Amino acid sequence: MTRHFLTAAILIGLIVALVVATEIIGVRLYTRIALNLCIGLILVLGLQVFMGNSGILSFAHIGFMGIGAYTTAVLTIPARMKGMALPDLYPFLVDVQISPYLGILIGGLMAATVAAAVSYPLMRLSDAAAVITSFALLMVLHTVMTNWSALTNGPRTLFGLPKATDLPMAAGVAILAVIAALAFKESRTGLLLRASRDDEVAAGAMGAHIPHLRWRAFVLSALFAGIGGALWGHFITSFSPRAFYLKETFVILGMLVIGGANTVTGAVIGAFIVTAAFETLRAVEGALNRAQIFSEQVVGLTEVVLAMAMIAVLSLRPGGLFSTREIGTLLLRRARQREDKE
Amino acid sequence: MTAFIQFVIDVLSLGGAYALMALGLVIVYGILKLVNFAYGELIMVAGYTMYLVSGSGLPWLVMAMVAVMMSILAGIATDYIAFRPVRAKSVTAVLITSFAFSTLLQNAALLFISPRPRNVPLPEVFSNTVEFAGVITPARNLITIATAVVMLTLFAWLMQRTVLGIAMRAAATNFTMARMLGVPANLIISSAFAISGLMAGVVSMLWIGRIGAVVPGIGLEPLLIAFIATVIGGMRSLQGAVLGGFLLAFIDTGLNYTLPQDLLKFRDAFTFSLVILILLWRPQGLLKGPATGQRT
Amino acid sequence: MLEVSGLQVRYGAIRAVRDVSLRLAEGELVTLLGTNGAGKSSTLMCIAGALRAASGSIRLDGEDVTAATPEAMVRRGVATVPETRDVFPDLTVAENLRLGAYVRRKDIDGVAADRARMFEMFPVLAERTNQPAGTLSGGEQQMLVIARAMMSRPRLLLLDEPSLGLAPTIVDRIFEMIVALKESGLTILLVEQNASKALAIADRAYVMRLGKIAAEGSASEIAAATDLKALYLSG
Repeated sequence: MTRHFLTAAILIGLIVALVVATEIIGVRLYTRIALNLCIGLILVLGLQVFMGNSGILSFAHIGFMGIGAYTTAVLTIPARMKGMALPDLYPFLVDVQISPYLGILIGGLMAATVAAAVSYPLMRLSDAAAVITSFALLMVLHTVMTNWSALTNGPRTLFGLPKATDLPMAAGVAILAVIAALAFKESRTGLLLRASRDDEVAAGAMGAHIPHLRWRAFVLSALFAGIGGALWGHFITSFSPRAFYLKETFVILGMLVIGGANTVTGAVIGAFIVTAAFETLRAVEGALNRAQIFSEQVVGLTEVVLAMAMIAVLSLRPGGLFSTREIGTLLLRRARQREDKE
Repeated sequence: MTAFIQFVIDVLSLGGAYALMALGLVIVYGILKLVNFAYGELIMVAGYTMYLVSGSGLPWLVMAMVAVMMSILAGIATDYIAFRPVRAKSVTAVLITSFAFSTLLQNAALLFISPRPRNVPLPEVFSNTVEFAGVITPARNLITIATAVVMLTLFAWLMQRTVLGIAMRAAATNFTMARMLGVPANLIISSAFAISGLMAGVVSMLWIGRIGAVVPGIGLEPLLIAFIATVIGGMRSLQGAVLGGFLLAFIDTGLNYTLPQDLLKFRDAFTFSLVILILLWRPQGLLKGPATGQRT
Repeated sequence: MLEVSGLQVRYGAIRAVRDVSLRLAEGELVTLLGTNGAGKSSTLMCIAGALRAASGSIRLDGEDVTAATPEAMVRRGVATVPETRDVFPDLTVAENLRLGAYVRRKDIDGVAADRARMFEMFPVLAERTNQPAGTLSGGEQQMLVIARAMMSRPRLLLLDEPSLGLAPTIVDRIFEMIVALKESGLTILLVEQNASKALAIADRAYVMRLGKIAAEGSASEIAAATDLKALYLSG
């Protein structure tokens, strides 16, 4: 039990340290990066809840982020702005305007509901089939978001969300996400799910109904994604369906895989590392463009480097940096070994 | 009656393209049990090759063969760059590395060529229309059907009659045992990727023939089609991939014909819902693959 | 012909084979005995190239083949019939045999002649040429995998528990065939749990226990050894 508390404490400590340092430095750019990092944490932890426990890669995660963002948008954009922001909106929704905090919650619940309704058949598929079907699901969610103009303003940018998210709030939700992810991992569902990866028959004998367990994990992960998306929406205040597509999927997957999909520690560390790398590369790309070293704009360099980094990390450590044990477990083990030697 | 023939031609030509797409994906999956996310980019590579050689003045067929050649090479390269370093270690790792490689290729095209569409030369015959059984249809459709028939026949011959094909089918069932009979592992794997590239290259010529231009993201839709056709057909069955391709074409064309105008843009969502229903009924897909008794 | 010394094979932390040394001379039929879990199959699979040796060496005709791949071993004339039989169930009998001759595929006439010879030796396979191999009975499948291994014209045949799961009459027939193969000049390493049948046809024998060689000698010596039962029961 101690090791779980230790892990939680360390990870939460990291997030708190981030917030404190950022507030002290006070530069707007860093605040933005830290906030994006916290939202990234919520998303990666959501993905970890499903992927880390079921062993199945899900590409659909970012789609649920979009559902959360658009749900809170429709419910919280001030009534007077809706005429411009969502000209085709259904009449019964035009006058609805609720508090952003409620909107975020409902956004998460909506994402979870859609996940619950749509995903059960996927949970009975073999691993590879489930992965590629989740990819198709992302495409479908994207198509719906791009074409359901009444709710999303179509492929165009949707603006007008009230700015309600600040760094302490995002960090607070991220901390809750860490605790929830750890709790789920060690819950009966989480344990049974991970056991079923190693030996399906034995787990079945213990009463595990694998599709059902996977479904629960998937719905929970969609809840995280929806809340993360809604939080992000209230930070950035305007977005389009393009924000919930392949590039973002790639980055979130990169964070989880490099950090280690099987552990919550991996999700958190991966998010920190990839955000740092990503922002650095973006700055480099920007500097190159400003200095006009190349005749044309350099675009896509960040993704290329990130892709190469992912291939490199995976060939050396296929399970990611923290592939099996949480940091609490590792530290306690080392402490115990040192004790034994003395 | 005319509408029916039109429908049949549409389904057969679309199905032929879909079947080839699916086959290119399954041939690698069946042997390696690994999904190649960079498969769509093989189509992109062929397209950009056509763009790059378009100024050379060579006859179209020669340019097309060069493009297909590049697809084959890119397929083999995918194995060496994205699969071999991690293949033995983890299935998830391979999914990620092939996804990463796909991103890498797309962004490389973005970076070194252009994010904007680039025109691809098409043979004149593609734009001709032809009358067939009382129906006027683009010649392209009939050419697609003919090409698909030729490729599928070639493929079946390869798999059933040649020792390489037999070896590949054996490797898909039990790779280690095939090696213990002297079958060289690397040859089998490279052959699978080469065939995958060949299918992608041919499909590319037909697919881009509908659009006339190439963009970095052009491989995404065919990849998705291959994915879905494979899943409904049965992931480890070559015949299943072909069946899945035609079935998906049937669903897509059917929806095209029957959906009201304002719902047409959601066609993919409807297709996916039907696919989900099929999967609810048969999670392993329609056709079973070679027997192994292991987890797929 | 074959010299194994100090072989060690691991599955993770478990040492299935701790320190095995054995040798085969050309033309010999040597049997490797022992109970379940003694490490016999692992030893065989390691020689075949399908398992990696943690330490030790394997020499074939004086050349070091410890790290050789399975394909390379076949090219050197070593054919393996694993315990699990591993017919390719969806391939026909004919396709299985054709695949067995992979390393000789260019020699079309030679392969055809060998195929005819296999059909002579195992007539039931001739009857079922175009049937999927998965529809054959256990005994027929065993014959198929032996015939398939012979198609590569090996000099050394590694056989893992051919009698496993088969009825006694069929086991007798299989063992008759193994003797016939030996008499044609083939060197054979036979792993078996059925000690009495194996010792009846072998020249020499090794007995393995818990990953090590516990006894070795000529077949008659081992058969007469009174502690054989003790080895089996306590091992």
